Amino acid sequence: MYELFKNLGSWLVAGEQWTGPDGIGHRIAEHLQYSLLATLVAAAIALPVGLLIGHTGRGAFVAINLASFGRALPTVGLVVLVFLAGGLSMTPVYVALVALAVPSIVTNTYAGMTAVDPEVKDAARGQGMRGHQVLLRVEIPLALPLIMTGLRLALIQVVATATIAAYVSFGGLGRYVFDGLAQRDLVQVLGGAVLVAAVAVVLDLALSGLQRVLFRHRRAAV
Amino acid sequence: MNAQGSASSPNSASSASSPSSTSSTSSTSSASSSSSPKHSPLPRRAILGGLLAAASVPALAACGGGITSLDGQGGGGGNGGGGSSANGVTIGTANFTENQILGYLYAAALGAAGVKTKVRPNLGTREILIPALKGGDIDLLPEYQGALLHYLSPKATATEEGAMQNALAVALPEGLQILPYGRAEDSDAFAVTRETAAEYGLASLADLKKQNGKLVIGAAPEVKKRVVGVVGLKEVYGVEFKEFKSLDSSGPLVKGALKKGDVDVANLFTTDTDIAAEGWVVLTDPKNLVPGQHVVPLIADRKADSAVRKALARLGGALTTEDLTELNRQVDKDKKDPEDVANAWAAAHGLVKKR
Repeated sequence: MYELFKNLGSWLVAGEQWTGPDGIGHRIAEHLQYSLLATLVAAAIALPVGLLIGHTGRGAFVAINLASFGRALPTVGLVVLVFLAGGLSMTPVYVALVALAVPSIVTNTYAGMTAVDPEVKDAARGQGMRGHQVLLRVEIPLALPLIMTGLRLALIQVVATATIAAYVSFGGLGRYVFDGLAQRDLVQVLGGAVLVAAVAVVLDLALSGLQRVLFRHRRAAV
Repeated sequence: MNAQGSASSPNSASSASSPSSTSSTSSTSSASSSSSPKHSPLPRRAILGGLLAAASVPALAACGGGITSLDGQGGGGGNGGGGSSANGVTIGTANFTENQILGYLYAAALGAAGVKTKVRPNLGTREILIPALKGGDIDLLPEYQGALLHYLSPKATATEEGAMQNALAVALPEGLQILPYGRAEDSDAFAVTRETAAEYGLASLADLKKQNGKLVIGAAPEVKKRVVGVVGLKEVYGVEFKEFKSLDSSGPLVKGALKKGDVDVANLFTTDTDIAAEGWVVLTDPKNLVPGQHVVPLIADRKADSAVRKALARLGGALTTEDLTELNRQVDKDKKDPEDVANAWAAAHGLVKKR
């Protein structure tokens, strides 16, 4: 065990390990690219849906349950299914990752919207605000902490799952995990896993820092 | 044979001193994994003990070793030398369809020769099967020449059937032997679609060199670093691919990619039913890069008598790669039972059980 961790240490710090197309630097860049793009697409789908059902209070049951399908779908199965239908490209990976990310964003956005005090909304209407004004100026600002939590949650899940890109021949940190398993190279598998965890933690810290900065600003403005 | 008996005993003896914490689990596994009478002095029992000890189930190992120990081995010793299948032969098989079918085919062939058999399917990988065979838990195992040779001596260079048979005879541990190999073969193959073969003029692996830097190969991740893969293709045939795509071993990914044209060359198994179904072209291997993987019976000396040898040689001579491919298809695609499929083939080829 000690030996394994010692080897892991030298694997992680070896200079040649960090450069070139198979290097850790490039793999992290690929991994971030897959994760961020998938989360952005998921947000583009899920945020409007969450805001809509939260604002109108209609269709929540259907939308939440439909979104939760994404959670129940086995990601690898979805990748293979889309792959067999569409062929070898990043599409299957993105479809699976987006399906994974949508539920957290929809449910958290919806939860944030419903948590807004109805009297506050009434007051906004009473001041003569229209529907979209209530949404943009009252509901979204108040729901923002929970919406951000949903986005963070989705991003972390996606970062952890983006390793499957390697399953269908693409890059990212999953390359180390899949290649290591196939070549019985445990150090490589462990190295890949540790790097994925590190990327996830760093991203989460960065987002929570961003969140804190955003809300400090908001509080000051109010 | 006795050497193995004593080899397994220290194993169980050492575990006897270790604390027992999982007695309930071990007793149930003993009941399910051996149908022989509880106190029957079969050598198998002792080895079962040894095996379970290895799987860190100390309580039963102590008990198994205690019941039979060397006495049981002494009784089994009567079979020593020539070997005898009079007490029946236990056939073990690995955890994939084709190996299970082969196990049932062996059972059918031996049954037709009047030998009693018991099949224990789906036992796992070589890492489990070979120790079980050495130990006496199983007596016979359907194996593949190249893969077995690579397992026993990873640096072996033989790839031709006869040379491998000789190398295997040398590499095998005491107490185990291989019988003559059969016609059927399940080896690695590099396949292209008919269109690709026509477009680039591909018939053999050597032809790939003419298209260096143009073709994309799809295979399981390990093939990138294997001699029977990218490394050997470069060394032996001078082939360089444009790109290597890590997919799976003759599974839906690599086959899907080949079908759709996402890869030009795919690493498949020769008994894959889709090769014929899709009309794919398997590239020939004039320089014998890919080791032969003829099916070969691996058997313990103690059971290898002439009745067993003849029955298995007869089966080996009758079963072709095409037959095996078809049987695989019946199990994997038609969802038939491996035992039924094997028995139907055996009956059609005159291997009917003697009463």
